[in-house]
Amino acid sequence: MPVITLYYDKLKSLIKGELSEKDLLDKIPYIGVTLEEATDEYVKIEYNPNRPDFSTIYGIVRSLNGILGFEKGAPNYVIKSGEVEIIVDESTQIIRPFIVGLVARGINLNDESIQEIISMQEDLHEGIGRRRRKMSIGIHNFDVLKPPIRYTTVSPEFKFIPLGEENEMSMKEILEKTEVGREYGYIVSSFDKYPLIIDSLNHVLSFPPIINGELTRLTPETKNLFVEITATNLKADEDALSIIASALSDMGAKIESVKIRIGNSIKITPDMSHQQIEVNRKLANDLLGLRLDDKEIIECLERSRISVLSKDGKLIALIPRYRVDILHQVDLVEEIAYGYGFDKLTPTLPSSKKTGKYNENLLLIRSARDVMIGLGFIEVMNYHLISQKALYDFTRRKAKKMIKVENPKSIEYEFLRDNIFPSLLIVLSKNLHEEYPQKIFEISKVFYSDLRAPNGIREDYHLATAVSHSTANYTEVKSILSSLFLQAFNLSVDTIPTYHPSFSSGRVAKIVSMKQNIGMIGEIHPLVLENFRLRNPVSVFEINLSRVIDIVKQNY
Amino acid sequence: MKPLHGLERKLLLSLKDGGGLLEDIASRANMNIDQARRAVEWLKSKGMINIDEKVHNKIEILEEGKKAVEKGLPERRLLEILKRLNGEAKLDELSKAFGSTSQEFSAALGHAKSKGLISTLSIEGKVIVRLKYDQELIEESLLRKINEKVLFFEELSEEEKKALNGLMKRPNYLTIKPFKIINISLTELGKKTAEAIKEVKEIDFLTSDLIISGKWREHKLRPLDLEAKTPTIYPGKKHPVQHFIDEVREAFVALGFEEILGPIIQPAFWNFDALFVPQDHPAREMQDTFYVSKLKEIKIANSNLIEKVSRTHINGWNTGSKGWGYNWVLDEAKKLVLRTHTTAVTVKYLADHKVSEAKVFSVDKVFRNEKLDPKHLAELHQIEGIMVGKKVNLRDLMGILSEFYKILGLRKVKFWPTYFPYTEPSLQSIVYVEGFGWMELCGMGIFRPEVTLPLGVKNPVLAWGGGLERIIMAKLKLDDIRELYENNLGWLRKVPLCL
Repeated sequence: MPVITLYYDKLKSLIKGELSEKDLLDKIPYIGVTLEEATDEYVKIEYNPNRPDFSTIYGIVRSLNGILGFEKGAPNYVIKSGEVEIIVDESTQIIRPFIVGLVARGINLNDESIQEIISMQEDLHEGIGRRRRKMSIGIHNFDVLKPPIRYTTVSPEFKFIPLGEENEMSMKEILEKTEVGREYGYIVSSFDKYPLIIDSLNHVLSFPPIINGELTRLTPETKNLFVEITATNLKADEDALSIIASALSDMGAKIESVKIRIGNSIKITPDMSHQQIEVNRKLANDLLGLRLDDKEIIECLERSRISVLSKDGKLIALIPRYRVDILHQVDLVEEIAYGYGFDKLTPTLPSSKKTGKYNENLLLIRSARDVMIGLGFIEVMNYHLISQKALYDFTRRKAKKMIKVENPKSIEYEFLRDNIFPSLLIVLSKNLHEEYPQKIFEISKVFYSDLRAPNGIREDYHLATAVSHSTANYTEVKSILSSLFLQAFNLSVDTIPTYHPSFSSGRVAKIVSMKQNIGMIGEIHPLVLENFRLRNPVSVFEINLSRVIDIVKQNY
Repeated sequence: MKPLHGLERKLLLSLKDGGGLLEDIASRANMNIDQARRAVEWLKSKGMINIDEKVHNKIEILEEGKKAVEKGLPERRLLEILKRLNGEAKLDELSKAFGSTSQEFSAALGHAKSKGLISTLSIEGKVIVRLKYDQELIEESLLRKINEKVLFFEELSEEEKKALNGLMKRPNYLTIKPFKIINISLTELGKKTAEAIKEVKEIDFLTSDLIISGKWREHKLRPLDLEAKTPTIYPGKKHPVQHFIDEVREAFVALGFEEILGPIIQPAFWNFDALFVPQDHPAREMQDTFYVSKLKEIKIANSNLIEKVSRTHINGWNTGSKGWGYNWVLDEAKKLVLRTHTTAVTVKYLADHKVSEAKVFSVDKVFRNEKLDPKHLAELHQIEGIMVGKKVNLRDLMGILSEFYKILGLRKVKFWPTYFPYTEPSLQSIVYVEGFGWMELCGMGIFRPEVTLPLGVKNPVLAWGGGLERIIMAKLKLDDIRELYENNLGWLRKVPLCL
């Protein structure tokens, strides 16, 4: 989740009232953010991705001023009508069809505020922008530009000086040689032409979504800004612009609109008009377990920086444009709760006649576990994901119908296991220096390809056990197997000789109960022991608990 | 009279058959010399034993004496040579055969002659030596006895005393030293007391025979060193994570919840789409979620439900929402994922049952595509609870959570607002764990109408969920979450289950 650093000095200058540092720390969680770190100079907070307006200190202060009662209702942002045009070329429409913009005049920049702008831009790229795929922002020194601005496409061979470079580079080179080019180049590299934003003198503003031109770099001397945002989704485009407009306005700039011309149609951005949603008082009181009257509801919403209009007995919420997270009446319920104060909500207990119930299958599994523990076994727990090496190669099993995850971060955890015993052999191999005998078991789901299953993959519970010591043998585990079945399931089992590559021949059997094949038992083959670097004999059984549970249920 | 100490009783009994030296009595009584000394001291003060101290002359063998035991006395060696020479030899030949110095030879000759073992005669000016006597000498047997055991001068016969005198004259053979002997015997009182002691045999273990025959009454269990360390043993045991899972299950059942189960592999539809998570949400990316290739065309839900869910994403359908405003794609919803939360199972349960009231829970595995490190696992357990009811509300949810934590021994809880894509309002619970401090545990909230209305559920759905491992880590004071699944047998054998 995104993190923002807030300096106390700056906070104090922006908050419209008296507030001690301690009170501030106590209140911060109640605007819906998490305190990460607090020092004498600053606090670091983590905010949720639904609140991109928290990507600047100004956004956070707006909220704090409301919750603390220093300001109320929706802030009003005045947009002056401007003359700058962005002319959109048709060729951009298949690559990155949307563009919006604004001009911000009379801003006072310094190194600190430039840093604030950059970090807001980065957070918006990550969140709303989905790492620039969906939306990306260019912020420029307006005074070096000559409008109108053109949003067009050019050949990858087109050259300009990108931000941070001294010489011209072709756009192709930018994708290959710059860090941002390598990171985000995939977004445009499949197209014949690349998007470009230029002014009327063909000066390059930006190559979206990759990099700006060096020409329009912001410096502490920059007084007027030009902002353009390109996107593949209109909502993301407009949401981001409204957040930037609010922040720049709070930084002291006068915002002017920009005309976007596509063919003969003209659109004016930014549109900062309030979103209107009717407040559902009953829903609010029902969900919060409160009995608030209209006056209280209005007060609560105003503390959440939402204005309310009373009209024909209805309450209409006027929601500032930057609150892009409000989709539904239920979101206003939460805003009421913020204004009311989550710390003032007291817990209650609902009455209910429901009785609790364990899952029947898990109760049978619990019996099996109890018996194994009674027999002196230690329960282990391994991951469902395992390496091909352990699951197939080391156990000499054929790797067929493997279920592999598509994108593992490590080859140690690549396959969904269809058997537990390979994991048990790993456990034994990691415990060579622990006291023997070692007697372990595990109960877990395993996965098989099965086209009859709804997803093509069946998930069954298995139980596997392994015994290792200097004389571990078949007879010992067969006694345990018989005891388990009798004690936990009241079933007898037969063991029928078979072949299995993981076990020594003549020392491996199928486990059969009520005519159903339910598992394997035997002594692990010395080649397998060698593969796992084991030094003592190991005997093992593994049963399909889901099948056993079915048998038990059929018999009662 | 004070009761007798065990050692006193043992010593008295061993003296019943007659007194003796301290060392002998100690070994007869089966105790070490220090125990015997202590018992003697106590019994003496009670007037039950006499202690008789005498100084005797102890004979000790010296270096030459030992050599003589090994190789024979010089006169014996002379006789042996003479025997080899057929019982007669010229003096100079004999001297040559004897080897050694002439001084030793003449000493040997002297001893042999004076004991009458040989005779000498002169023939034609040459001295001839002849063997006369070839039995064991008293000196020889005495020397052997002295070498084998402690012998006192006072014990010797008159003949032996004479032989000893002779041996003493030979240099570095024997010496005599004064030696204190403590002789212990019972007094009259001691004898009476010993007679009165009923003999009780000490045993290490009760046996079945002793119990059945009743003979245990004649025996006494030897006292053990009750403070001594005993061998370590380990029980069969639940894994600590499983132990805690069972505790959590019990807490849910105690609160009236029923456990539900469902598949780990889920279509993205149930894991994400039905929960109003937009298809371009970062959590759905490959870096965060495990995807599994489809083996066949799958049916994710009935087409009516798919239609409602897709339209909710696009424009809110008739849930009253604006929706996310993007192009929802069916293929994206059909992808198979390893569930990232058990809510996939819960939401399917709601769709299948369309309940107006329910209290269900699960504690089960979920997956995140993480690289394993001290703070992250790719496989975790999630706790999840759901309550559906006509009048349930956020404060009820806070109340249930507080009760739930209380059963698990967590009594201090705070609630902070937070955000989840599928609940509104949403809260984060912060819990005080003894020995750790405050930590974020379950997230919670009321399912959004965008989630419940397409499923056909009209009443509010309270939901909470969180990671199980975090609590166990805090309780076990582990720094590295991976330790829980290392399966180190040493740790599993020793880790206490009282979390």
